[in-house]
Amino acid sequence: MSKYHNFTQRPLSRREMLGICKGGFGALAFTSLFGVLPIACSRSKKLLSEPDLYLGPHYLPKAKNVIFLYMDGGVSQVDSFDPKPRLAKENGEDPRKKFKVDATQFDNVGKILKSPWDFKQYGECGMPVSELFPHIATCVDDIALIRSLTSKFPEHTNANYFLHTGSGIQGRPSMGSWMTYGLGSDNKNIPGYVVLDGGLIPPGGLDNFKNGFLPASYQASILKAGAEPVANITPKEHMPNLQEEKLQFIKQMDHSLMGKMGEVDAVESAITNYELAYKMQSSIPELTEFSEETKATKKLYGFDSNDPHTRGYAAQCLLARRLVERGVRFIELTCPKVDADRWDQHNNLKDGHEKNAHAVDQPIAGLLKDLKSRGMLEETLVVWTGEFGRTPFAQGTDGRDHNPSACSMWLAGAGIKGGTIFGRTDDYGYRVIENEVSIHDLHATIMHLLGINHELLTFRFGGRDIRLTDVHGHIVKDILT
Amino acid sequence: MELTLLINPNLLDDPSDFMIFVGRFHPLIVHLPIGFLLLASIAHFTTRWPKFYAIKPFLKYLWGLGAISTALAVVLGYLLSLSGDYNDNTLFWHKWSGVVVLVLALICYFISKKQSENTKPTQWFLIALAIGTMIYTGHLGGNLTHGSTYLLEYAPNSVRSLAGLSPKKETIPKITVLDSADVYLDLVAPIMDRKCVSCHNKEKKKGDLELTTYANMMRGGENGEVIVPGDIETSELFRRITLPENHDDFMPSEGKRPLTTQEIALIEWWIASGAPANGFVLELDSQKIITETASNYLGLDKHAVLSKKVPPANQSSIDSLRDQGIIINRLMKSNYFIEANFKLSERLITDKELALLQNLKEQLIWLDLSNSELEDESLQKIGQFEHLIKLNLSGTAISDKGIVHLKTLKHLESLNLYDTDVSDGLLKLIPHLTRLKKIYLWQTKVNDSVIEGIQSERKNLLVVYGRE
Repeated sequence: MSKYHNFTQRPLSRREMLGICKGGFGALAFTSLFGVLPIACSRSKKLLSEPDLYLGPHYLPKAKNVIFLYMDGGVSQVDSFDPKPRLAKENGEDPRKKFKVDATQFDNVGKILKSPWDFKQYGECGMPVSELFPHIATCVDDIALIRSLTSKFPEHTNANYFLHTGSGIQGRPSMGSWMTYGLGSDNKNIPGYVVLDGGLIPPGGLDNFKNGFLPASYQASILKAGAEPVANITPKEHMPNLQEEKLQFIKQMDHSLMGKMGEVDAVESAITNYELAYKMQSSIPELTEFSEETKATKKLYGFDSNDPHTRGYAAQCLLARRLVERGVRFIELTCPKVDADRWDQHNNLKDGHEKNAHAVDQPIAGLLKDLKSRGMLEETLVVWTGEFGRTPFAQGTDGRDHNPSACSMWLAGAGIKGGTIFGRTDDYGYRVIENEVSIHDLHATIMHLLGINHELLTFRFGGRDIRLTDVHGHIVKDILT
Repeated sequence: MELTLLINPNLLDDPSDFMIFVGRFHPLIVHLPIGFLLLASIAHFTTRWPKFYAIKPFLKYLWGLGAISTALAVVLGYLLSLSGDYNDNTLFWHKWSGVVVLVLALICYFISKKQSENTKPTQWFLIALAIGTMIYTGHLGGNLTHGSTYLLEYAPNSVRSLAGLSPKKETIPKITVLDSADVYLDLVAPIMDRKCVSCHNKEKKKGDLELTTYANMMRGGENGEVIVPGDIETSELFRRITLPENHDDFMPSEGKRPLTTQEIALIEWWIASGAPANGFVLELDSQKIITETASNYLGLDKHAVLSKKVPPANQSSIDSLRDQGIIINRLMKSNYFIEANFKLSERLITDKELALLQNLKEQLIWLDLSNSELEDESLQKIGQFEHLIKLNLSGTAISDKGIVHLKTLKHLESLNLYDTDVSDGLLKLIPHLTRLKKIYLWQTKVNDSVIEGIQSERKNLLVVYGRE
């Protein structure tokens, strides 16, 4: 066989043969496989068999867009949103004498470690927030805090996959892919699922943002910080119609290939992705051009900060707002690369957490306030979370190890009951003792706010109708309006 | 010792708890004779065919069982009747027809014991009579327990007219606005019907209390009145429904579903307001104590527009709007409501598009015209989209002149006027928008006194007018 084997007609696989021959579509699909074909995207093909061809939310949505602020590495809950006075009282004592200590990743259990930061109550709701987040603290009346998020994995990579895809093993579609698959996206010139790369791609890599078994057009597009957010976004051809004709030729080739191969997602998605990439050459520069933003707005986000990381994250947050304005469905922000590690302070907790907090605090508060004043927070869900929490006792002397048994996170915006605190941890903030919220519950809740019934949005793969929440997930009703 | 109590005839006037306790097994035991007697009659009937000759020798045992269980049911039924909770007339017929069943069952027993070769027609008649009387007795028993209207309550009207009943009560048309809600008819009576009337009706009248009408309610029961207008403390009805559930006096008794906190709150407020026989909820509740609970109880806090069923939107209008780059999305699967979004169209909004939208006005509940080149005159058309729940006009050049047209948008909940030229005109508009929950006024010409005016007028309206 020649090296072009991949581009010639493939033999049918057993699975394909069975899939094609079942149902009344058999004959039709069979001819299309060996001759000219009606091009239909795989999604509509799947839905054709249903009597009521319906795409869109199952019930009236609260949120139209999601901004997912990912706190890579795991923020320490007892140092941010879950104050535990008992840690100060028993600071330096042996945790194993107080409670059962689970195995930790680095097996270097130190003494009980009090929080280096003080807490103060804020807002009408009186939510306590630590000194780490003085700006976010001014927004607490719009925030619903969950102190009882748990993960199933004590290690970054699995925990990241779990948070992003609902499964601890790579290969499943990311939640952003599910949302855009379920709802489509309003803007045809920008992808519906965008990841704003602040500098740190989380452990587990790009698989966190992949489409998995969903059509490839639903994967995340990653926009980098800086002058050229997408590689090769400026056309390299010196004549505009040269590029157009090139693309036209490629499209023609792809279509004839599809005529031979049948409806293969790889080819279909390649065609749509080429088209989208072409449109992005004009939409992306316009998107990242901040000159129309006022000085006051930029200041609000922290563009005038001394800290370059704050400035960087401020630009990402502003970009997120601009993406929402342009109808992008799901936007994830990854963390900036500060001089310390990500939020993963196995040692030097004070320095590392302060640097990370300083980079994100003002931009996030600015984003919330800006969205609110423009009336956009009503339709936008903002989610702030890490993949797990940290231990209330030290790793070594001045760090904290991973803790999947308790994690604090918050949501704000569309359909969220501001000023709510949900869930409770024990006196040490080590384990959840009331109203545990699993990652599946979080997914179900986000989908609910977007008008999707998490039990109904499925995709058939490997012989099973698979959901983002698999067989789990309960909507956290107490934080909803 | 209990036995001596049982045979002491003086005690029958004031029966001991023990006897009623035993009596309450009547509804359980009563099903045994029904089963045995039916079985015996069927078995007896089948012996007409040679195939079933084999069961002939056992018929007498079946009838015997029937007779014994009937006797037991009669005794227990008598004990239960001593509690006096039941309609006297129905009880009389139930009691004596029960005794007749017992007599007939005994006769059938003796007939089958004689083991004649073939059952004679007179014997068949007696068997049929026994079963018929048993069915009649059972029916009366059902009427005693559930009320005489129970059986045919949901029967088709043709069946009801055969039984000489009036056609089914038309359910009171469902209230759609709180303004027209009547305190007794729409709040108190439905609660009574749902939770109390099954025991406190004309037939059953437990505690000699009937809760079917306002007059009967106020008349009270065997211990006097149960509702003291304006005084929840001494109102027996309120005391009973708010006792701990395991308390002897708790109502509804016998493990029936208790009142919800919402229902209790409504009853409490009703009694405290003098337990009026009628009157509009909103007028009685001038201080808005119960309005929210009431509207929630009546399911009115859900959006009136959304509870309508709208037809599918005109597809050709949708297609032509989409061709113009305007986004039209359906918002739910169970209904045909849509949103229209012009913000990505990068086009002038012309009369043509507004005319197309006019075709969709029934389905259109969200409209986003932000940053479009919208003019004051166009708002006249938008004022006709009366199903709108969300309207975003931010970033447009509209002013007070235009927004007067919006006062027809009765269902509007969210109005975004950020970055527009509106000012004092809002004070005239807002009172018309009774459902408005959120309004965005940052970077408008609205001054602080207007904002204060709006906020003092409408406590539940969220006014966003600044940043920071």
